[in-house]
Amino acid sequence: MFRALRLKQEPVKVAPEPKPLTIDEWMGDAQFPLGIRTINALPHDAKQRFYRTLIPPALLGRLGINPILWRGSGHAVELFAEPASGKVNLSINNVQDPNDAYFVLELQDNATNGIDLNLIILNDPDAEKFGIDFDAEGKATHWGTITRNLAEEERAMRAGLAPAQVRAGMGFARQVLQQLDVFLALCARQAVSLEPLTYASAWIFEKNGFAYVRGHKLMDDIQREFQPGGTLHAALDGSTPFRQPDAWQTVRGRAWAIQDGILEVIGERWRDLRMIKVVGKHAGVETFPNAKY
Amino acid sequence: MPDNFILTRAAELDALGAFREFIARVCERLQIPNEISFELQLACDEAATNVIRHGYAGMNPGSIMLELRPQRKKIEMVLSDFGHPFEPVETDAPDVNAMLQDQPTTGFGLYFIYRTMDDVQYYSDEQGNHLVLVKELSSK
Repeated sequence: MFRALRLKQEPVKVAPEPKPLTIDEWMGDAQFPLGIRTINALPHDAKQRFYRTLIPPALLGRLGINPILWRGSGHAVELFAEPASGKVNLSINNVQDPNDAYFVLELQDNATNGIDLNLIILNDPDAEKFGIDFDAEGKATHWGTITRNLAEEERAMRAGLAPAQVRAGMGFARQVLQQLDVFLALCARQAVSLEPLTYASAWIFEKNGFAYVRGHKLMDDIQREFQPGGTLHAALDGSTPFRQPDAWQTVRGRAWAIQDGILEVIGERWRDLRMIKVVGKHAGVETFPNAKY
Repeated sequence: MPDNFILTRAAELDALGAFREFIARVCERLQIPNEISFELQLACDEAATNVIRHGYAGMNPGSIMLELRPQRKKIEMVLSDFGHPFEPVETDAPDVNAMLQDQPTTGFGLYFIYRTMDDVQYYSDEQGNHLVLVKELSSK
Protein backbone atom coordinates (compact mmCIF):
# COMPACT_ATOMS: atom_id res chain seq x y z
CA MET A 1 0.00 0.00 0.00
CA PHE A 2 1.09 3.48 -0.14
CA ARG A 3 0.51 6.54 1.83
CA ALA A 4 0.03 9.42 -0.56
CA LEU A 5 0.24 12.43 1.65
CA ARG A 6 0.00 15.32 -0.70
CA LEU A 7 -0.66 16.28 -4.29
CA LYS A 8 -0.80 19.74 -5.71
CA GLN A 9 -0.67 21.88 -8.80
CA GLU A 10 2.49 23.51 -10.09
CA PRO A 11 3.22 26.57 -7.93
CA VAL A 12 3.11 30.05 -9.40
CA LYS A 13 6.45 31.64 -8.62
CA VAL A 14 6.29 34.96 -6.82
CA ALA A 15 9.97 35.09 -5.87
CA PRO A 16 12.90 35.32 -8.30
CA GLU A 17 14.63 32.08 -9.26
CA PRO A 18 17.90 31.62 -7.37
CA LYS A 19 21.04 31.62 -9.49
CA PRO A 20 23.29 28.54 -9.53
CA LEU A 21 26.07 28.84 -6.96
CA THR A 22 29.76 28.44 -7.55
CA ILE A 23 31.83 26.15 -5.34
CA ASP A 24 33.36 29.23 -3.72
CA GLU A 25 29.92 30.51 -2.85
CA TRP A 26 28.99 27.13 -1.41
CA MET A 27 32.11 27.06 0.71
CA GLY A 28 31.75 30.68 1.75
CA ASP A 29 28.55 30.62 3.79
CA ALA A 30 27.17 27.50 5.48
CA GLN A 31 24.02 29.43 6.42
CA PHE A 32 23.13 30.27 2.83
CA PRO A 33 19.81 28.48 2.15
CA LEU A 34 19.84 26.11 -0.79
CA GLY A 35 16.80 25.35 -2.89
CA ILE A 36 16.04 22.30 -5.00
CA ARG A 37 16.82 24.19 -8.20
CA THR A 38 20.26 25.06 -6.87
CA ILE A 39 21.02 21.47 -5.97
CA ASN A 40 19.65 20.20 -9.28
CA ALA A 41 22.15 22.42 -11.09
CA LEU A 42 25.01 20.38 -9.60
CA PRO A 43 26.69 17.49 -11.43
CA HIS A 44 24.76 14.23 -11.07
CA ASP A 45 27.03 12.63 -8.48
CA ALA A 46 27.09 15.74 -6.32
CA LYS A 47 23.32 16.03 -6.20
CA GLN A 48 23.01 12.31 -5.54
CA ARG A 49 25.12 12.84 -2.41
CA PHE A 50 22.62 15.48 -1.25
CA TYR A 51 19.52 13.50 -2.07
CA ARG A 52 20.89 10.31 -0.54
CA THR A 53 20.09 11.84 2.86
CA LEU A 54 16.37 11.74 2.05
CA ILE A 55 15.93 7.96 2.12
CA PRO A 56 16.38 6.09 5.41
CA PRO A 57 18.97 3.32 4.90
CA ALA A 58 16.66 0.95 6.80
CA LEU A 59 13.97 1.49 4.18
CA LEU A 60 16.44 0.68 1.43
CA GLY A 61 17.53 -2.37 3.41
CA ARG A 62 13.90 -3.50 3.65
CA LEU A 63 13.75 -3.47 -0.16
CA GLY A 64 17.19 -5.03 -0.60
CA ILE A 65 18.73 -1.89 -2.08
CA ASN A 66 22.32 -0.87 -1.45
CA PRO A 67 22.17 2.61 0.18
CA ILE A 68 25.25 3.83 -1.71
CA LEU A 69 24.68 2.29 -5.13
CA TRP A 70 20.88 2.71 -4.98
CA ARG A 71 20.28 -0.66 -6.60
CA GLY A 72 20.03 -4.34 -5.68
CA SER A 73 17.58 -7.25 -5.34
CA GLY A 74 15.86 -6.24 -8.53
CA HIS A 75 14.91 -2.79 -7.19
CA ALA A 76 16.57 0.56 -7.81
CA VAL A 77 16.16 4.14 -6.70
CA GLU A 78 15.27 6.44 -9.57
CA LEU A 79 16.26 10.09 -9.26
CA PHE A 80 14.57 12.77 -11.32
CA ALA A 81 16.30 16.09 -10.70
CA GLU A 82 16.63 17.96 -13.96
CA PRO A 83 19.15 20.83 -13.91
CA ALA A 84 16.66 23.56 -14.77
CA SER A 85 13.93 22.20 -12.52
CA GLY A 86 12.95 23.19 -8.99
CA LYS A 87 11.59 19.72 -8.34
CA VAL A 88 13.20 16.45 -7.23
CA ASN A 89 11.47 13.10 -7.35
CA LEU A 90 12.94 9.96 -5.79
CA SER A 91 11.13 6.69 -6.43
CA ILE A 92 11.38 2.94 -6.11
CA ASN A 93 8.95 1.14 -8.36
CA ASN A 94 7.72 -2.35 -9.01
CA VAL A 95 9.98 -3.39 -11.89
CA GLN A 96 7.06 -5.14 -13.56
CA ASP A 97 4.71 -2.17 -13.30
CA PRO A 98 6.10 1.37 -13.33
CA ASN A 99 2.71 2.66 -12.09
CA ASP A 100 3.10 0.57 -8.93
CA ALA A 101 5.36 2.64 -6.68
CA TYR A 102 6.73 1.31 -3.42
CA PHE A 103 8.38 4.57 -2.46
CA VAL A 104 8.07 8.10 -3.80
CA LEU A 105 9.33 11.31 -2.27
CA GLU A 106 8.91 14.55 -4.16
CA LEU A 107 10.14 17.98 -3.05
CA GLN A 108 9.76 21.26 -4.87
CA ASP A 109 10.78 24.88 -4.47
CA ASN A 110 7.56 26.72 -3.72
CA ALA A 111 6.27 30.10 -4.82
CA THR A 112 8.20 31.94 -2.12
CA ASN A 113 11.39 29.87 -2.53
CA GLY A 114 10.58 27.75 0.48
CA ILE A 115 10.39 23.98 0.03
CA ASP A 116 7.21 21.96 -0.35
CA LEU A 117 6.82 18.26 0.23
CA ASN A 118 4.63 17.30 -2.71
CA LEU A 119 4.25 13.60 -2.17
CA ILE A 120 5.25 10.68 0.00
CA ILE A 121 4.35 7.14 -0.98
CA LEU A 122 5.38 4.26 1.27
CA ASN A 123 3.90 0.98 0.09
CA ASP A 124 4.59 -2.48 1.40
CA PRO A 125 5.47 -4.51 -1.74
CA ASP A 126 4.23 -7.68 -0.02
CA ALA A 127 0.80 -6.28 0.81
CA GLU A 128 -2.27 -6.68 -1.36
CA LYS A 129 -2.79 -3.93 -3.91
CA PHE A 130 -6.16 -2.20 -4.16
CA GLY A 131 -7.17 -0.48 -7.36
CA ILE A 132 -8.38 2.78 -5.84
CA ASP A 133 -6.05 4.75 -8.12
CA PHE A 134 -7.87 3.85 -11.34
CA ASP A 135 -11.57 3.83 -12.09
CA ALA A 136 -13.53 1.09 -13.83
CA GLU A 137 -12.58 2.57 -17.21
CA GLY A 138 -8.91 2.58 -16.37
CA LYS A 139 -8.63 6.33 -15.86
CA ALA A 140 -6.50 7.68 -13.04
CA THR A 141 -8.53 8.76 -10.00
CA HIS A 142 -5.57 10.60 -8.47
CA TRP A 143 -6.02 8.43 -5.40
CA GLY A 144 -9.70 9.18 -5.18
CA THR A 145 -9.35 12.96 -5.20
CA ILE A 146 -10.72 13.54 -8.71
CA THR A 147 -12.92 10.51 -9.23
CA ARG A 148 -13.49 7.43 -7.10
CA ASN A 149 -13.42 3.69 -7.58
CA LEU A 150 -16.04 2.96 -4.94
CA ALA A 151 -15.82 -0.84 -5.07
CA GLU A 152 -12.05 -0.81 -4.59
CA GLU A 153 -12.25 1.91 -1.93
CA GLU A 154 -14.72 -0.19 0.05
CA ARG A 155 -12.44 -3.21 -0.24
CA ALA A 156 -9.48 -1.12 0.88
CA MET A 157 -11.43 0.30 3.82
CA ARG A 158 -12.51 -3.16 4.98
CA ALA A 159 -8.87 -4.27 4.74
CA GLY A 160 -7.92 -1.53 7.19
CA LEU A 161 -6.43 1.01 4.80
CA ALA A 162 -7.01 4.75 4.88
CA PRO A 163 -8.21 6.78 1.89
CA ALA A 164 -5.58 7.22 -0.86
CA GLN A 165 -3.74 4.07 0.16
CA VAL A 166 -3.33 1.37 -2.49
CA ARG A 167 -1.37 -0.97 -0.22
CA ALA A 168 -0.62 -1.25 3.48
CA GLY A 169 2.27 1.01 4.44
CA MET A 170 5.85 0.04 5.13
CA GLY A 171 5.82 1.92 8.42
CA PHE A 172 8.67 4.28 7.58
CA ALA A 173 6.79 7.60 7.59
CA ARG A 174 8.42 8.86 10.80
CA GLN A 175 11.91 7.91 9.62
CA VAL A 176 11.42 9.52 6.22
CA LEU A 177 10.24 12.74 7.88
CA GLN A 178 13.22 12.65 10.24
CA GLN A 179 15.52 12.26 7.25
CA LEU A 180 13.74 15.19 5.65
CA ASP A 181 14.64 17.33 8.68
CA VAL A 182 18.28 16.30 8.21
CA PHE A 183 18.14 17.19 4.52
CA LEU A 184 16.59 20.59 5.25
CA ALA A 185 19.22 21.37 7.87
CA LEU A 186 21.90 20.35 5.37
CA CYS A 187 20.38 22.86 2.95
CA ALA A 188 20.18 25.53 5.69
CA ARG A 189 16.39 25.55 5.35
CA GLN A 190 14.17 26.19 8.33
CA ALA A 191 10.87 24.63 7.35
CA VAL A 192 8.96 22.47 4.92
CA SER A 193 5.31 22.86 3.89
CA LEU A 194 2.74 20.52 2.41
CA GLU A 195 -0.94 20.05 1.65
CA PRO A 196 -2.36 16.96 3.36
CA LEU A 197 -4.26 14.81 0.92
CA THR A 198 -6.58 13.25 3.49
CA TYR A 199 -7.68 13.60 7.11
CA ALA A 200 -5.57 10.56 7.97
CA SER A 201 -2.44 12.06 6.43
CA ALA A 202 -3.02 15.37 8.25
CA TRP A 203 -3.24 13.41 11.50
CA ILE A 204 0.03 11.60 10.68
CA PHE A 205 1.76 14.89 9.97
CA GLU A 206 0.47 16.32 13.27
CA LYS A 207 2.01 13.35 15.05
CA ASN A 208 5.27 14.18 13.32
CA GLY A 209 5.41 17.77 14.48
CA PHE A 210 3.58 19.73 11.80
CA ALA A 211 1.36 22.76 12.51
CA TYR A 212 -1.23 24.33 10.22
CA VAL A 213 -0.75 27.29 7.93
CA ARG A 214 -4.40 26.86 6.98
CA GLY A 215 -7.01 24.47 8.32
CA HIS A 216 -6.33 24.13 12.04
CA LYS A 217 -9.79 25.48 12.81
CA LEU A 218 -11.31 23.02 10.34
CA MET A 219 -9.56 20.14 12.12
CA ASP A 220 -10.94 21.42 15.45
CA ASP A 221 -14.41 21.70 13.91
CA ILE A 222 -14.15 18.12 12.63
CA GLN A 223 -13.16 16.89 16.08
CA ARG A 224 -16.02 18.74 17.76
CA GLU A 225 -18.69 17.73 15.25
CA PHE A 226 -17.73 14.05 15.32
CA GLN A 227 -18.48 13.89 19.03
CA PRO A 228 -21.85 12.41 20.07
CA GLY A 229 -24.45 15.13 19.53
CA GLY A 230 -22.40 16.73 16.77
CA THR A 231 -23.53 17.26 13.20
CA LEU A 232 -20.93 14.93 11.66
CA HIS A 233 -21.70 12.27 14.25
CA ALA A 234 -25.37 12.44 13.29
CA ALA A 235 -24.48 12.13 9.62
CA LEU A 236 -22.81 8.75 10.23
CA ASP A 237 -26.10 7.12 9.35
CA GLY A 238 -24.95 4.08 7.40
CA SER A 239 -26.26 5.59 4.18
CA THR A 240 -23.04 4.54 2.44
CA PRO A 241 -20.40 1.96 3.42
CA PHE A 242 -18.12 4.88 4.34
CA ARG A 243 -20.51 6.43 6.86
CA GLN A 244 -20.83 3.74 9.47
CA PRO A 245 -22.04 4.85 12.93
CA ASP A 246 -18.80 3.93 14.68
CA ALA A 247 -16.54 5.69 12.16
CA TRP A 248 -16.11 8.77 14.40
CA GLN A 249 -14.02 6.76 16.86
CA THR A 250 -10.96 6.29 14.63
CA VAL A 251 -8.77 8.36 12.37
CA ARG A 252 -9.37 5.99 9.46
CA GLY A 253 -13.13 5.89 10.04
CA ARG A 254 -13.35 9.67 10.01
CA ALA A 255 -11.03 9.84 7.00
CA TRP A 256 -13.26 7.54 4.95
CA ALA A 257 -16.36 9.50 5.89
CA ILE A 258 -14.60 12.72 4.87
CA GLN A 259 -13.44 11.07 1.64
CA ASP A 260 -17.13 10.31 1.11
CA GLY A 261 -17.99 14.00 1.37
CA ILE A 262 -19.50 14.07 4.85
CA LEU A 263 -18.07 17.54 5.54
CA GLU A 264 -20.81 18.95 3.34
CA VAL A 265 -23.20 18.70 6.30
CA ILE A 266 -21.14 21.37 8.08
CA GLY A 267 -20.72 23.41 4.90
CA GLU A 268 -17.09 22.41 4.38
CA ARG A 269 -14.93 20.38 2.02
CA TRP A 270 -11.51 18.81 2.46
CA ARG A 271 -9.52 21.47 0.66
CA ASP A 272 -7.02 24.29 1.13
CA LEU A 273 -5.35 22.79 4.16
CA ARG A 274 -1.67 23.56 4.42
CA MET A 275 0.79 22.37 7.02
CA ILE A 276 4.29 23.38 8.04
CA LYS A 277 7.09 21.71 9.96
CA VAL A 278 9.82 23.80 11.46
CA VAL A 279 13.13 21.94 11.37
CA GLY A 280 14.02 20.56 14.78
CA LYS A 281 10.73 21.60 16.37
CA HIS A 282 7.61 19.56 17.18
CA ALA A 283 4.52 21.78 17.22
CA GLY A 284 2.59 19.40 19.47
CA VAL A 285 -0.70 19.76 17.58
CA GLU A 286 -3.27 17.16 18.55
CA THR A 287 -6.66 17.86 17.03
CA PHE A 288 -7.90 14.33 17.80
CA PRO A 289 -6.68 13.69 21.36
CA ASN A 290 -5.99 10.08 22.31
CA ALA A 291 -6.90 9.00 18.82
CA LYS A 292 -7.08 5.43 17.66
CA TYR A 293 -5.76 5.14 14.12
CA MET B 1 16.95 26.13 32.40
CA PRO B 2 17.13 24.27 29.10
CA ASP B 3 13.43 23.52 28.72
CA ASN B 4 11.36 25.03 25.98
CA PHE B 5 7.62 24.93 26.36
CA ILE B 6 5.36 24.92 23.30
CA LEU B 7 1.58 25.02 22.96
CA THR B 8 -0.04 25.15 19.51
CA ARG B 9 -3.69 25.95 19.01
CA ALA B 10 -5.98 26.96 16.16
CA ALA B 11 -6.18 30.72 15.67
CA GLU B 12 -9.54 31.11 17.39
CA LEU B 13 -10.52 33.16 20.40
CA ASP B 14 -11.01 29.89 22.29
CA ALA B 15 -7.25 29.53 22.27
CA LEU B 16 -6.70 32.53 24.53
CA GLY B 17 -7.80 30.70 27.67
CA ALA B 18 -5.56 27.76 26.87
CA PHE B 19 -2.60 30.08 26.34
CA ARG B 20 -3.23 31.90 29.64
CA GLU B 21 -3.48 28.63 31.51
CA PHE B 22 -0.33 27.34 29.84
CA ILE B 23 1.67 30.45 30.76
CA ALA B 24 0.41 30.30 34.34
CA ARG B 25 1.38 26.63 34.62
CA VAL B 26 4.85 27.12 33.16
CA CYS B 27 5.51 30.18 35.34
CA GLU B 28 4.40 28.28 38.40
CA ARG B 29 6.70 25.40 37.52
CA LEU B 30 9.59 27.80 36.97
CA GLN B 31 8.75 29.77 40.14
CA ILE B 32 8.33 32.98 38.19
CA PRO B 33 6.47 35.63 40.25
CA ASN B 34 2.73 35.93 39.71
CA GLU B 35 3.06 39.54 38.65
CA ILE B 36 5.25 38.59 35.71
CA SER B 37 3.02 35.65 34.90
CA PHE B 38 -0.01 37.96 34.68
CA GLU B 39 1.85 40.43 32.49
CA LEU B 40 2.89 37.64 30.15
CA GLN B 41 -0.68 36.34 30.03
CA LEU B 42 -2.11 39.75 29.21
CA ALA B 43 0.54 40.45 26.59
CA CYS B 44 -0.14 37.05 25.02
CA ASP B 45 -3.88 37.77 25.03
CA GLU B 46 -3.37 40.99 23.13
CA ALA B 47 -0.83 39.64 20.66
CA ALA B 48 -2.79 36.45 19.93
CA THR B 49 -6.00 38.43 19.50
CA ASN B 50 -4.28 40.52 16.84
CA VAL B 51 -3.17 37.38 15.01
CA ILE B 52 -6.67 35.89 15.18
CA ARG B 53 -8.43 39.07 14.05
CA HIS B 54 -5.92 40.40 11.53
CA GLY B 55 -3.21 37.84 10.74
CA TYR B 56 -5.61 35.15 9.60
CA ALA B 57 -8.30 37.50 8.28
CA GLY B 58 -9.95 36.02 5.20
CA MET B 59 -8.14 32.71 5.61
CA ASN B 60 -9.10 29.26 6.80
CA PRO B 61 -7.36 29.83 10.15
CA GLY B 62 -4.16 27.98 10.83
CA SER B 63 -2.13 27.59 14.00
CA ILE B 64 -0.72 29.92 16.60
CA MET B 65 2.32 28.50 18.33
CA LEU B 66 3.14 29.85 21.77
CA GLU B 67 6.63 29.11 22.96
CA LEU B 68 8.13 30.02 26.32
CA ARG B 69 11.90 30.02 26.46
CA PRO B 70 13.13 30.47 30.01
CA GLN B 71 16.68 31.71 30.40
CA ARG B 72 18.77 32.56 33.41
CA LYS B 73 17.60 36.13 33.97
CA LYS B 74 14.74 36.52 31.54
CA ILE B 75 11.96 34.68 29.81
CA GLU B 76 11.22 34.91 26.10
CA MET B 77 7.67 34.42 24.93
CA VAL B 78 7.40 33.78 21.19
CA LEU B 79 4.10 33.79 19.32
CA SER B 80 4.40 32.33 15.84
CA ASP B 81 1.73 32.19 13.17
CA PHE B 82 1.48 31.55 9.44
CA GLY B 83 -1.05 34.16 8.41
CA HIS B 84 -0.56 37.61 6.96
CA PRO B 85 2.32 39.45 8.63
CA PHE B 86 0.85 41.86 11.16
CA GLU B 87 3.38 43.77 13.16
CA PRO B 88 2.10 45.19 16.44
CA VAL B 89 3.59 48.64 16.15
CA GLU B 90 4.15 50.64 19.32
CA THR B 91 1.35 53.11 19.94
CA ASP B 92 0.91 56.25 21.99
CA ALA B 93 -0.79 56.01 25.33
CA PRO B 94 -4.54 55.56 24.87
CA ASP B 95 -6.88 58.42 25.65
CA VAL B 96 -7.97 57.63 29.19
CA ASN B 97 -10.64 60.34 29.14
CA ALA B 98 -12.21 58.78 26.08
CA MET B 99 -12.16 55.40 27.80
CA LEU B 100 -13.80 56.87 30.91
CA GLN B 101 -16.47 58.41 28.74
CA ASP B 102 -17.07 55.01 27.18
CA GLN B 103 -15.93 56.19 23.76
CA PRO B 104 -14.33 53.77 21.32
CA THR B 105 -10.58 53.62 21.75
CA THR B 106 -7.98 51.29 20.34
CA GLY B 107 -4.37 50.46 20.93
CA PHE B 108 -4.54 49.88 24.66
CA GLY B 109 -3.34 46.30 24.30
CA LEU B 110 -0.36 47.22 22.14
CA TYR B 111 0.48 50.08 24.47
CA PHE B 112 0.33 47.61 27.34
CA ILE B 113 2.68 45.17 25.58
CA TYR B 114 5.31 47.84 24.98
CA ARG B 115 4.95 49.21 28.51
CA THR B 116 5.29 45.88 30.31
CA MET B 117 7.73 43.89 28.17
CA ASP B 118 11.45 44.67 28.22
CA ASP B 119 11.92 43.99 24.54
CA VAL B 120 9.56 43.46 21.61
CA GLN B 121 10.75 42.13 18.25
CA TYR B 122 8.77 41.10 15.21
CA TYR B 123 10.00 39.31 12.12
CA SER B 124 8.76 37.04 9.34
CA ASP B 125 10.74 34.24 7.78
CA GLU B 126 10.40 30.80 6.22
CA GLN B 127 8.96 29.56 9.52
CA GLY B 128 6.17 32.12 9.68
CA ASN B 129 5.63 35.36 11.57
CA HIS B 130 7.16 35.71 15.00
CA LEU B 131 6.52 38.13 17.83
CA VAL B 132 9.25 37.82 20.44
CA LEU B 133 8.42 39.34 23.82
CA VAL B 134 11.16 39.43 26.43
CA LYS B 135 10.60 39.90 30.13
CA GLU B 136 13.53 40.35 32.49
CA LEU B 137 13.22 38.31 35.66
CA SER B 138 15.96 39.93 37.73
CA SER B 139 14.37 43.38 37.94
CA LYS B 140 11.39 42.09 39.86
